[in-house]
Amino acid sequence: MSGPNPTPPAPSPGSSPGTQPGGRSGTQPGEIRQPRLGPLGWARWSWRTLTSMRTALFLLLLLSVAAVPGSIFPQRSIDAGRVADYLADSPTTGAWLDRLGFFDVYTSVWFSAIYLLLVVSLVGCIIPRSRLHWHALRSRPPRAPAHLERLQAHTSIPYAGSSAAALASARDILRRKRFRVHSHDEGWVSAESGLLRETGNLLFHVALCIVIVGVAVGHLWGWRGDVIVPEGQTFTSTFRSYHTFSGGPLVDSLDVPPFGLRIDRFDVRFEEVVGGAQFGAPRGFTAYTTTTDAPGEAGAQQVLSVNEPLTLGGADVFLLGNGYAPVVTVRDATGSVLYRQATPFLAQDNFYTSVGAIKVPAASPTMLGFSGFFLPTVDPSFANGPVSQFPALKNPELALSVWEGNLFPGGRSQSVYTLNTTELTQVPKADGQPLLIRLAPGQTYELPGGRGSITFDSVSRFAGLSVRHDPGKGITLVAALLTIAGLVASLLVRRRRIFVRASADPANPSTTLVTVGALSKTADPGLEAALQALAQQIADLSTGAAPAARSQRT
Amino acid sequence: MPSLVAFPGLAALQGLTGAAPPTGLASAATSPELASAANLALYSSMAVFTITMLLYAAYLAALGPDPSLRRAGEPARELVGAGAGASGTSGSPNPSDAATTGATSELAGASAGSGAGAVVGSGAGAAAGAAGGPSMRARKLAGSAFAMTCLATVLLVASVALRGLSVMRAPWGNMFEFATAGAAAAAVAYCLLARRNRWDWLGLFVVGPILLTLGTSLLAFYTEAAELMPALKSVWLVIHVIVAILAVGLFVIAFSVGILYLIKAHREADANTRPNFLETLPSAASLERTAYGLNMVGFILWTFTLVAGAIWAQKAWGAYWTWDPKEVWTFVVWVVYAAYMHARATAGWEPRKAMWIALAGFGTVIINFAVVNVFFVGQHSYSGL
Ligand code: HEM
Repeated sequence: MSGPNPTPPAPSPGSSPGTQPGGRSGTQPGEIRQPRLGPLGWARWSWRTLTSMRTALFLLLLLSVAAVPGSIFPQRSIDAGRVADYLADSPTTGAWLDRLGFFDVYTSVWFSAIYLLLVVSLVGCIIPRSRLHWHALRSRPPRAPAHLERLQAHTSIPYAGSSAAALASARDILRRKRFRVHSHDEGWVSAESGLLRETGNLLFHVALCIVIVGVAVGHLWGWRGDVIVPEGQTFTSTFRSYHTFSGGPLVDSLDVPPFGLRIDRFDVRFEEVVGGAQFGAPRGFTAYTTTTDAPGEAGAQQVLSVNEPLTLGGADVFLLGNGYAPVVTVRDATGSVLYRQATPFLAQDNFYTSVGAIKVPAASPTMLGFSGFFLPTVDPSFANGPVSQFPALKNPELALSVWEGNLFPGGRSQSVYTLNTTELTQVPKADGQPLLIRLAPGQTYELPGGRGSITFDSVSRFAGLSVRHDPGKGITLVAALLTIAGLVASLLVRRRRIFVRASADPANPSTTLVTVGALSKTADPGLEAALQALAQQIADLSTGAAPAARSQRT
Repeated sequence: MPSLVAFPGLAALQGLTGAAPPTGLASAATSPELASAANLALYSSMAVFTITMLLYAAYLAALGPDPSLRRAGEPARELVGAGAGASGTSGSPNPSDAATTGATSELAGASAGSGAGAVVGSGAGAAAGAAGGPSMRARKLAGSAFAMTCLATVLLVASVALRGLSVMRAPWGNMFEFATAGAAAAAVAYCLLARRNRWDWLGLFVVGPILLTLGTSLLAFYTEAAELMPALKSVWLVIHVIVAILAVGLFVIAFSVGILYLIKAHREADANTRPNFLETLPSAASLERTAYGLNMVGFILWTFTLVAGAIWAQKAWGAYWTWDPKEVWTFVVWVVYAAYMHARATAGWEPRKAMWIALAGFGTVIINFAVVNVFFVGQHSYSGL
């Protein structure tokens, strides 16, 4: 069996079921009377099965398989829109997949069950192993076996000096190599190193549990709010001021810090040189902001960009979205302004073909609505329909249809980017055809029938901000780093035992013969060489050591 | 303004979003001359690798079935390695087999800086092992194959470096660059470790995958040298991706060794196979240990990749873990290799079965790279395709 045995060697096997690697639970001593297991017996059997290495292995493989569907099917937590599209495209399979949790894989019952079982298994495995390891740490290196010659590696070497001096040198050298050293009997030294391996392994597994604790804390007390802020406007953070807000079950809406953030300028740059798929790819986005930690405080100038979030009032502000907000003015027939606002349009593709709506409830006799496209770089022929050719403002155009009627049927809240047309009728051209208004910046269109006019004044940009608070992320980070530290120790430290015996050489009783034996818990190809080096070092320390005391093997 | 607004654009926009470094000096010019020099170096390197591959194949053929190496000889060699030492050979402290199995400690020593590796170093002079060693012809072939590998590796590293210079950034910003850099990492690792561990037999199985990777990346993933999209402009690109590349390089070599191990173990289990060049490879047990050592260091680096990726995601996207497809598959890779480590540590689990898990792990590495980047929709839109 080349696989290392994780149980420390000292305690008798079977003393702790949880650490029996592969010990098929149920076949353990005392558990063979399986047919007559009572409830307690079953409970114990289940616990042992759950905490066996084999079960952990099985659960790990299961976890890896269970995680996959979440990468194949769209997930509500990531992009609810794509889930809705999927359900619309294939209603029957979609409904079944939905019922089975394939659109919420990572919160589904089956996925949660697997990782919770794994956590239970993990804890059930850590506790007994920690106990064993604690004892191992405090106990002395064990007594040497009587016959060092039977160990994995061993050697004998003559020593010019007393056996006490030989052992003293051995102790010295081994301590310097950070072995724990003890003499159980005169004439012997036992030494042990590499307990750090098990310490690291336990640290790794404990840290995994703490990672999960950190994730849970973030889930319970964390929140996020998303908001769109046009250039030149100020956003004041309150629970209600976000466009979307989601928080954990223990979040108090008053926890949201009341910071303010104004987008002074928003610089954007796109790839213009390289062709192919890279043409028009985003290259740089920088928002220059003025921020206040709380109302009434002095503003500070700060730069916000991707990879460079801001921290305001304990929450982190990320720049996660961007787009265009055409500034539009709607006037009534007398020329008085009904609406003037930078209105965000949402990009639909990589070239920022954007959709949006302008709602003018103040219009009379009925409300007016405009919906359509904003195209930063238009192909005037509309050969491929209203699509943009490039993401930057090379030839911007606003293409809108006009509606009138009730903008807010039922008084319900709705998306600001689309019109709910159930109680709206489209305003036609004089000839009865649907009206499509196409405006370049600075242009005005007189609406038919004395409905007033619409002016496309200019274009500003908006920044899509995401504000997040995750009180568990520090815990998770520290635990994740501990995981790595534990793993490195667990896999790279070697656990070795070395025994040294010094006695009068039977062949030549006036000299001392030092015998060194070593064994290792893991595959340890360096053991033999390390042993030889140690023997040589002991020999070299002998008074007036012969320059090249060659090692002999028994 | 209505308070309950659907926020449909945000997720879609995230892939597009980015921002220049605060200085605003991001518009580093790309140099087409350097980029085409990089491509030239890449083609030259592939040509040399092709010759190398032929040389290594010839080397294995020259090893041939050695009549002096009866199957029964194997266990004897093992014993020599593990036990009393090479009493028959000259004073070398390292029995021939220990040098090969030393791969594990070699790697461990190298990455932990513990110096443990030092104990295994065996001179090239010890190459003539207990079993008489390869013929003169084979040794000559191995020597020239190794020299050519080094040349090809230098060319490949030069290509990666030129690509980096041409765009003034770390040269692993899209799939093509990642694949090329990964191949370079594997080649460098092989060149550094091959002599000490006497990995001549492994040459073909490292150079083959490297050529395959380079060919695929040129044909399927080629991307013009260009500036990065803003979300990738981060020190974390350097840290996270370089460690991922190293991990993948190790996984590739471990995969080759793992396959050889399974073949060899199969042959050893079957008494009446006709001897062929496989006879001259290290024993199955030592192949298994080598593969384990490589996978183990790869796994540590992958754990680091995962953590570094989460730290970067926290900075760039505002959440350290969102189950984005790329994150999912990075996690799947990690869990499968963790299962491999467990399987190997579980008494009663055959090493052969454990090795199958490691091979499956490598399968997930390939999927993570070749399928997820291209076909799955997520925030990791860096393929450049
Ligand atoms: C979240 C799930 C887990 C992960 C990712 C994980 C990962 C690992 C890794 C990477 C190792 C190092 C393997 C080696 O030393 O060769 C290891 C060792 C070990 N694990 Fe786990 N583990 C998990 C859960 C568990 C559970 C539930 C148990 C308890 C049954 C367990 C018991 C052990 C033991 C006993 C070792 C020591 C093996 C040795 O020292 O050779 N692990 N684990």
